[in-house]
Amino acid sequence: MAEHGSPGRLSRLVDTAPLLIFALLLAYIAFEAHNFFSLLSFKLILNQSLPVVIICMGLAFVVMAGGDDVVSGGIDLSIPATAVLCAGIIAQWLATNGSLPVAVALAAGAALLVGAINALLVTRIGMTPLLTTLSMFVAVVGVNNVVTSSRRINVSDPVILWLRDGQIAGVPVGIPIVALIALSFYHLAHRTRIGLNMQAVGGSRDAAETSGLDVKKLQSASFILAATTGFIASFFVLARGSGSSPGVENNLMLEMVLATFLGAAFSGRRVVTLWGAVLGAVLVAAISIGFKSMGVNVFWTGLIKGSLILAVVAFGALAQRGRR
Amino acid sequence: MTELTSNRSSSLLRHLFVRFGFLLAFFAFFVFFAAWNPVFLQGGNLLNIVEGSAILLIVALGMTLIVATGGIDLSVGIALDFGAAFAIVAMKSYGADWITAAALGVSGGSIVGIVNAILVVGLRISPFMATLGTFFIGSSVQRIFTNGGGPISHRRMPDEFRNLAMGDIGGVPVEVIVAAVLCVIYFLVLERSIHGRRIHAMGMQRLASIVAGIRVNRVLIASYIVAAMTCAIGGLIAAASIRMFTPLSGFSYLLDAIAAVFIGAALHPRGRPNVLGTIAGVLFLGMVVNGLNLMGLNFNVKDALSGIILVSALALAVAQRKMR
Amino acid sequence: MSNRLLHLDQVTKSFPGVLALDKASLDIRSGEVHGLVGENGAGKSTIIKVLAGVYVPDGGRLTIGGRVIDPITPESVHAAGVRFIHQELHLVPHFTVTESVFMGQEVRGRFGLDTGGMRRRAEAFLRDVLAVSIPGNRLIRDLGTAERKLVQIARALIDEAAKVVVFDEPTAPLASEECATLMHAIARLKDRGISILYVSHYLNEITDICDRVTVFRNGRSVSVFDDIEDSTGQDLIAAMVGRELEDLYPENRRTPQASLLELENYSGTGFRNVSFRLRAGEILGIAGLIGSGREELIDTIYGLRRSTSGTLRLRSRQLRMRAPKDAIDAGIVLVPRDRRHDGLVLPMTVSENVTLATLDAISRFGLENRRRARQQTEEQISALDIRPSDPEKVVRLLSGGNQQKVVLGRWLLKNADVYLLDEPTVGVDVGARSEIYALVDRLAKDGSGVIVSSSDPGELIGICDRIAVMMRGEIVSVLDASDLSLDHLISVTTGAEPTEAAHG
Repeated sequence: MAEHGSPGRLSRLVDTAPLLIFALLLAYIAFEAHNFFSLLSFKLILNQSLPVVIICMGLAFVVMAGGDDVVSGGIDLSIPATAVLCAGIIAQWLATNGSLPVAVALAAGAALLVGAINALLVTRIGMTPLLTTLSMFVAVVGVNNVVTSSRRINVSDPVILWLRDGQIAGVPVGIPIVALIALSFYHLAHRTRIGLNMQAVGGSRDAAETSGLDVKKLQSASFILAATTGFIASFFVLARGSGSSPGVENNLMLEMVLATFLGAAFSGRRVVTLWGAVLGAVLVAAISIGFKSMGVNVFWTGLIKGSLILAVVAFGALAQRGRR
Repeated sequence: MTELTSNRSSSLLRHLFVRFGFLLAFFAFFVFFAAWNPVFLQGGNLLNIVEGSAILLIVALGMTLIVATGGIDLSVGIALDFGAAFAIVAMKSYGADWITAAALGVSGGSIVGIVNAILVVGLRISPFMATLGTFFIGSSVQRIFTNGGGPISHRRMPDEFRNLAMGDIGGVPVEVIVAAVLCVIYFLVLERSIHGRRIHAMGMQRLASIVAGIRVNRVLIASYIVAAMTCAIGGLIAAASIRMFTPLSGFSYLLDAIAAVFIGAALHPRGRPNVLGTIAGVLFLGMVVNGLNLMGLNFNVKDALSGIILVSALALAVAQRKMR
Repeated sequence: MSNRLLHLDQVTKSFPGVLALDKASLDIRSGEVHGLVGENGAGKSTIIKVLAGVYVPDGGRLTIGGRVIDPITPESVHAAGVRFIHQELHLVPHFTVTESVFMGQEVRGRFGLDTGGMRRRAEAFLRDVLAVSIPGNRLIRDLGTAERKLVQIARALIDEAAKVVVFDEPTAPLASEECATLMHAIARLKDRGISILYVSHYLNEITDICDRVTVFRNGRSVSVFDDIEDSTGQDLIAAMVGRELEDLYPENRRTPQASLLELENYSGTGFRNVSFRLRAGEILGIAGLIGSGREELIDTIYGLRRSTSGTLRLRSRQLRMRAPKDAIDAGIVLVPRDRRHDGLVLPMTVSENVTLATLDAISRFGLENRRRARQQTEEQISALDIRPSDPEKVVRLLSGGNQQKVVLGRWLLKNADVYLLDEPTVGVDVGARSEIYALVDRLAKDGSGVIVSSSDPGELIGICDRIAVMMRGEIVSVLDASDLSLDHLISVTTGAEPTEAAHG
């Protein structure tokens, strides 16, 4: 049956192929675009990728708890919409002379509501996560358009400006903050009961059930957590765009899916993980910025990203086949 | 359905819901819109609903086919765009007559299907990821081709081509006739032919279908190509109606098409994606949009409401099916 | 009887049409390894599920340590100290050993979880109790099957509250050298005073490690061997088989004719160097335990897997199957073992399933001739006596026997030359079984060749002309079924009796 011992050299090559592709691509960019590996561009890359990094972690939780089959397993496409909605609420509230704490509370409430509806539809009604969160994406974006009247709203609140411009020891302040958030999420996922149990549910539902875990509760928790990351990301969406602007959600969604599943290809266990998602998000930003600094037409980036995700997923599928 | 054992009133209610839940919602909306604005009921307006739904209906037919094979197609919009682009460019730059242009448009769309088929069948990428990749690449190709997404207009297109969207035969708009013909063809193939039986069987239980001697890969390849060609026909109509090709315009049909198919599947007594159900789903969505328009609501509010109605309709439809 | 620890007394359980347990009893003393044996369908797995709280028994009671457990639920049984090592591993491949052992019972520390402590405890438990050293940070997917089994055991026992551990076919997926590791671990558990209920088909294991053995037959506990040392595998087999009427099977023997299907040094994943010849009008049985390569052989002949070497000839024509469609076109059809997954499209109707492989025959210009389909389906329904006789009934709602008839009906429409039947009567009630046997007999008499792969030795002897026995991927013996005793076949299949390799 299962042959153990060392896997063949070919399958090991297939295993590492996604990383190789990426390394080659980065090397190429570094060669073509001078200064690409400078500290400045490194900071720029990290700063640009912050919102995506955060929502990728949310998606990673949902995938970890739901399994990585995209159609029947766990996926939450509504996170970017949640992030944009929260940003819209905060911006709108601040624009009408409200105070930041109230704005934040309202946004948090909205995010929790979205998460709860997702959880309800998936675990109680029995809709597939894909269908649920795709339609929730549409609905939430619609609600956001009502909140903001589809207008761009500038934000000049000092806290948001500080997130945009502030520096700690020469490092943009967002980077250590997101690093801290990532660390605490890592703690949640790997050093707490609920985190491990969520992963158990996604890894093998049968195993989780025979171990007496409450599968529905854990899956619900993952959707709430995902919505929370949308809420957190909204601050960086506001900071990055100096306010809320309509239409950001589409690009965020695509980058989120790309980065998270790219991350799965990098992880040794070849499953969606937090670190993989974070790394994926940073690398996607690096490639975008890299091509931009090379002077490649921005219209090409979609093509490159699309081919990249296909290449990586195809290698993943090949590796799976090799292992069986 | 056969269990008519409901002898208590609560189970009678349940039975009514299970049987008619979605239809009741459909009529509730119908009556509501009619009561709000009598214009809704006028023959001209009802025709408007049908005419306004023609392109969505065509795209949703393609989606029905893919969902019936057990997959999902996120690249329907790209196929639609390609259909429009190939036809417009053929006429504008090469002076093609309308038949050649239409044929080129449909074959242009089929490229998308061929790519999907290669990814899904050849590389064994999951349909979601494969068509997402195609979506990325297709979007990027359009941007590159149009130098950033500007429309290609062709005001002096042949009248015959123009008539695809603007003409009528005996008072019935041509696009409605095209959609109706496609509906009949899809109905015959998917619901009445032996190919349809194979498609449904493999969508429901792939392994059992293989054991029964169905060449699953061939069915899949044909389905992806046919679905893309169908969407390209929708693209021809879109191009004819505005006399131009607008890059990335197909994306707006994606979510509605998915929603219509799943609403339709939920209406089917055995929960299968099916042509009649899809038509009902499309008309429901068309009715909601039209009704909300007639209510004279703010554009943004209308958007949000239709999003929320979409989520609720899907939840209702799925709940109805699960309770069977 | 003072040291009786667990007692299932006079347990009865029936399912629609089947009396699965008929006042069956089982008692386990503290600190013993108790074997449970019986043929398929004898009620072993039913009583295990009753004990696990999965099935609610119709009658009887459970006493553990002198206390009556009522109701029997998964929770109450767990609280009483009963643990189950299921046949399936139920582990998350990308979890570490520590994470797997403590799944659902993680230990909190000062900051989140006490990972270090858990790891030390998991490693210590594996080392001290199960006598293996597996690092706690290894991933499950990097472990061998035996090690995974030990991790599964550790998960069940880590809370140190286990009194009785039920092992359900623990060695089925293991290679022979891996079995030794497991046997060793079980002996250590016994030394710690834990009682063990050991369910297995492998009689040599039973006689090796058990202190006492209960034998089930037809839902009853027919005998208890109190001193297994004085008994042999043959004694167990005699008790398992009993002596009953065999009129379940058709009487006549057939007269095989020309050679139909020939395999020569046929090899693939899970089996190697298989050679045999199937003649028209012959029913060839394949016997073998789980993991013997039977399943893989059948799948490969049918084109579900690729063969790696050797030849397959049908009517002297060499064939290479790339997909089941190739096999079907050549005239070879399969009734798969897992009919619910592989045999039927469950949400489809009887008619849709029966005509699925012969759609061309009911097609007019590509459209389905529904009247024709209905008519063909009704013919099969009446020929096979499928109940209910409604062609529009969804097959999910049919009983196991009727589902199997639907699969058979599909292939009867095809008029195949070679029928591969994999576990044709698992989950099929007795009435439908004899009908299926009669049908198989008729197929052979009409000139087809039939291969029956089965884990039921009685069935094989009852309907086959010859029986090939497979063990660990190879055919070890080909026996003539006409003068074959059940005991002998079981001995050869279970390895209780050494055989010299034979060719057919």
